[in-house]
Amino acid sequence: MSTQHNDSTFDPDEPHLTRFDLVREGARRDGVEIVHYEPRFAKAGTAAEKRVERTIAFWFMITGLAALAFVVVYVAWPWEYEFGGHLDKWYTPMLGATLGLALFGLGAAQIIWAKRLLPAEVSVQERHDDVDTVEQKLTGATLVNMGQELNVSRRPLLKGAIALGALPLGAAAVVPLGGMIVDPHGHGDPLFHTGFDAKQFNEGKPVRLVREDGTPIRPEDVSVGGQITAFPGVPHGTTNVHADSPTLLIHLRDNDAKLTRENLGRVEVNKGGMWQNFVAYSKICTHLGCPASLYEQQTNRLLCPCHQSQFLITDNAKPIFGPATRRLPMLPIGVDDEGFFYATSDYKVPVGAAFWERP
Amino acid sequence: MKKKRFDLATLPERSAKGIDERFHASTPLRRMFNKVFPDHWSFMLGEIALYSFIVLLLTGTFLGLFFDPSMEEVKYDGVYTPLKGIEMSKAYESTLDISFEVRGGLIMRQMHHWAALLFMASIVVHMLRVFFTGAFRKPREANWMIGFLLFWLGFMEGLFGYSIPDDGLSGTGLRVINAITQSIPVIGSWAGFALFGGEFPGTVIIPRFYILHVLIFPAIILGLIAAHMGLLVKQKHTQWPGPGRTNKNVVGVRMFPGFAMKGGGFFMITFAVIAAMGGLFQINPIWLFGPYQASVISSASQPDWYVMFLDGIARLWPAWETRFELFGNGYTIPPIFWAAVVLPGVIVNIGLLYPFLEARFTKDKEQHHLLQRPRDTPVRTGLGMMALAFYLVLFASGGNDVIAQHFDISLNAMTWIGRIALLLAPPAAFWISYRIALGLQQHDREVLAHGVETGIIKRAPDGRFYEVHQPLGPVDDHGHGQLEYEGWVVPKKMNRIGALGPAIRGFFSPLEVEDKEARKGKAKELAGKK
Amino acid sequence: MTSSAEQPRRVPGKLRRRLGAAARMLAALALAGGVYAAIMPASQAEDAPKTLSARAQEGKALYDVSCISCHGTNAEGVKDRGPSLIGVGSAAVEFQVSSGRMPMAAQGAQAERKAVVPLFEDPKKIEALGQYIQEIGGGPQLPGEYGGGDPANGGRLFRVNCAQCHGYTAGGGALSSGKFAPPLDPANSAQLYGAMLTGPQNMPVFGDNQLTVKEKKDIIAYVEYMKNDMDPGGYGLGRIGPATEGIAIFVVGITLLVFTTLWIAGKS
Repeated sequence: MSTQHNDSTFDPDEPHLTRFDLVREGARRDGVEIVHYEPRFAKAGTAAEKRVERTIAFWFMITGLAALAFVVVYVAWPWEYEFGGHLDKWYTPMLGATLGLALFGLGAAQIIWAKRLLPAEVSVQERHDDVDTVEQKLTGATLVNMGQELNVSRRPLLKGAIALGALPLGAAAVVPLGGMIVDPHGHGDPLFHTGFDAKQFNEGKPVRLVREDGTPIRPEDVSVGGQITAFPGVPHGTTNVHADSPTLLIHLRDNDAKLTRENLGRVEVNKGGMWQNFVAYSKICTHLGCPASLYEQQTNRLLCPCHQSQFLITDNAKPIFGPATRRLPMLPIGVDDEGFFYATSDYKVPVGAAFWERP
Repeated sequence: MKKKRFDLATLPERSAKGIDERFHASTPLRRMFNKVFPDHWSFMLGEIALYSFIVLLLTGTFLGLFFDPSMEEVKYDGVYTPLKGIEMSKAYESTLDISFEVRGGLIMRQMHHWAALLFMASIVVHMLRVFFTGAFRKPREANWMIGFLLFWLGFMEGLFGYSIPDDGLSGTGLRVINAITQSIPVIGSWAGFALFGGEFPGTVIIPRFYILHVLIFPAIILGLIAAHMGLLVKQKHTQWPGPGRTNKNVVGVRMFPGFAMKGGGFFMITFAVIAAMGGLFQINPIWLFGPYQASVISSASQPDWYVMFLDGIARLWPAWETRFELFGNGYTIPPIFWAAVVLPGVIVNIGLLYPFLEARFTKDKEQHHLLQRPRDTPVRTGLGMMALAFYLVLFASGGNDVIAQHFDISLNAMTWIGRIALLLAPPAAFWISYRIALGLQQHDREVLAHGVETGIIKRAPDGRFYEVHQPLGPVDDHGHGQLEYEGWVVPKKMNRIGALGPAIRGFFSPLEVEDKEARKGKAKELAGKK
Repeated sequence: MTSSAEQPRRVPGKLRRRLGAAARMLAALALAGGVYAAIMPASQAEDAPKTLSARAQEGKALYDVSCISCHGTNAEGVKDRGPSLIGVGSAAVEFQVSSGRMPMAAQGAQAERKAVVPLFEDPKKIEALGQYIQEIGGGPQLPGEYGGGDPANGGRLFRVNCAQCHGYTAGGGALSSGKFAPPLDPANSAQLYGAMLTGPQNMPVFGDNQLTVKEKKDIIAYVEYMKNDMDPGGYGLGRIGPATEGIAIFVVGITLLVFTTLWIAGKS
């Protein structure tokens, strides 16, 4: 914005100028014309004005009192957690209420002040956004001048030198991010193996199915129509280190188990994976990896609560509804000499959400 | 005047002079003070976002004093009995400590979370205002893009914040993030492993998200907010068309004194709403969720509202997976890639480039400073409502299990309702809002032509009844108004133009009462003079 | 129903290795049988002579009035109407009847909790009915005492075993095709215990071997703790989670602030 006003004739020290004249002149220089500027109360000190002042004062008082209350509550209110419905449960609400009120009072006071005591104003500001083509040309010339002075196109040697110098530097700037790279198919190929991989995590010994507390599971531990979350019985097997290993071990009813057994033949990798009426499927949803563990024991459906994929346990955990595209992988199980469940092998297909290299 | 004796009184003046001598600040400062702000409520929606962001910085700093973003496992030994002795990460433990063992920590956590939700909500509301009024048109395309990016940066920032307490919901969210990252063709599993430093969940993701959450993203957001405001000052506000308002001026109040005071008051009230909600409404009670365990899930697991539309599309997207073989190896493109990577990418790009797309289709190269009413641009209004309908269906679907449970609808039916609505609702929204816009426009034109309905029925000498219309301006020989249709607000009721007495002004109660008292006061004064 | 006498299914390829273990397996199963007998002694029903105690007689009278139409004479079930009650035990009876789920008002996707029918308002009558079902078919029984659990261990178990359907905050959740896991708020300790023990509707069964009596009491202690611990952060918005929080920010936050903008910009 350029100031086109003739400034030399204006003398701010002229005695007849009021302060508002100065304000108006300042605004004029900023391209703003104060069209309308009128006090709210034609005469100062009327009853109405006093009333507005009292309202504003009231809100400031509220702010003061509420802020004081906030400090008192913060310091003196019993705040340490206790079971039940004691005063401590009101600590946070009291803080919120007092702080909220204090801030509201301050806000209300300002807004009322602005609306009711400050003069009513209408100002018009000129935008002055006409394009100045002369300026454009001058700046453009300055820019182009730089390019021409460098004149890279006439200096092929420098062109090559810049490329040879800058490109490796660019690479050098990016390469340190390589510190983040971890080969997903490196050590133990974790995308294709879980904690039930005996070779990797249990010195080749079969991996037992254990509960969350690490105790192994016997067939009689799970009632008919029951299910239990099983983990690999390896070090850290129940922790998030083996986040892809949680497994749902289900004890089916006789007729459901019969149906399941008949259907098992349909999926090559699942053959022979059941043990009696027990079947174990990965708990990790093949959609996005939430634990799909809402087992309905009458319908034998397994629901994932995140995105509503549903799997039919009696048919190799086939996805029958929702966004999931793949069956839940089956963990082949048996019972060892001591009567505990173990995985006869690791999962035969990758567990969890799909990825590019998944066949 | 007695300068030597009143040193203190002249101190401000002297220091102001000193500052100006050094920085030449007078002109730019005064220009700032004199910036004119149009006085309309809808221009203040963006301010809510700005003020929430300030509250986020304040409360976030407080939380940073106590939060420990470490995934190291510890045994909880705090005051919350139902978690005593439970293994958890330090991140979760320190969040519990903020909630239970730091005095006033819980309200800070809750204010931080509510402020985050408010930040995102006000961005959306502000963005809708800007869109439907055409405020994004030339020369403001860049500011639209910055604002649009701010939504997505806030989206990511919120996602990081949701993830770092390492509670049950956080971890579930992280797992979904992992699955989405892994779904990207070719680089997916490499990207996932780079992000998590190995297999999910690993031990680095929370420290990494923490640094993104407290440093990188806030810095970018702060920078973009500064740019957003800088451009706003440089390009000045848009304004509604009306008497005296042209494409070359801004009519309103100057920043000093009126607007600054109102703005300050509004900041305080925004802060007050956040504080009150932070104290009175419990949010994200992580102690009920327990620490993240890969085997644990809850029904009704949801992200925060601004991510819910993405969860919605993940729920609705059909099970379309591409599998193929190359050189004897099998490969997969999971459906979530289309739903959660490609689709948001398309949304971001269309949204970002919308100002240019519209200008291209309407062949509009002009500078625009006057807003358009939604009824005057039926196609844009229709498109906006279409996008909004699309968004709302996805948003509702993100909570379709909660809806199913509380309104006794089958969960499977909810999925299908969402799928069908996603296809039908947007075109329906377009058509309906397009028609409504045209209808409103037509009504405005009629009022301009025939005047305002007065409700006065007259009988002509030939026995015909007719309603008297009050013309808004001069009429031609046929009694038709000669006012041009200019996209201004057209008065539709008599009291808007004074025929039925003064309008009721004031927001909650008529201000006339006060005026009467003022008049009474004046009368008394006059009487006193006599 | 699985009977304890079922033989392990022999996988031919593994037969050789299994033969040596078969004896031990049978011993283990016999041991298990003892436990099974306590839970599912389905075979008892046929051979036991029906000499009912006085309480059970009273229960039979009640049964013949309000249950027989669906569950049939002698509680053997009626096809497509109601399942057999042989072996469900008094625990199932007490859970179903005391929570108002039985007698069912109408066949639906799932029996819903409702007010107890007037006939069974006296808990003694429910006990009598339970006694009858217990005496004719056996099955799991409620311990009658539910206190003394450890809420911390209960919370851990709750999250792994219960939260997936009933939610972290025990507010319930939707299941497939209109079924649902109910909120646990209205359930008393006996009903919580009964539900775990018997697996009503689609709920999986959590027998005493999976969750011991102590562990069930721990879970009950946790649920009761959550129920009776007031929210420390103000009104809990139904403890539903981000969905209601998202609605609250628009209904409360945005609404209040938009009103404020109207106030600020309003003419004065």
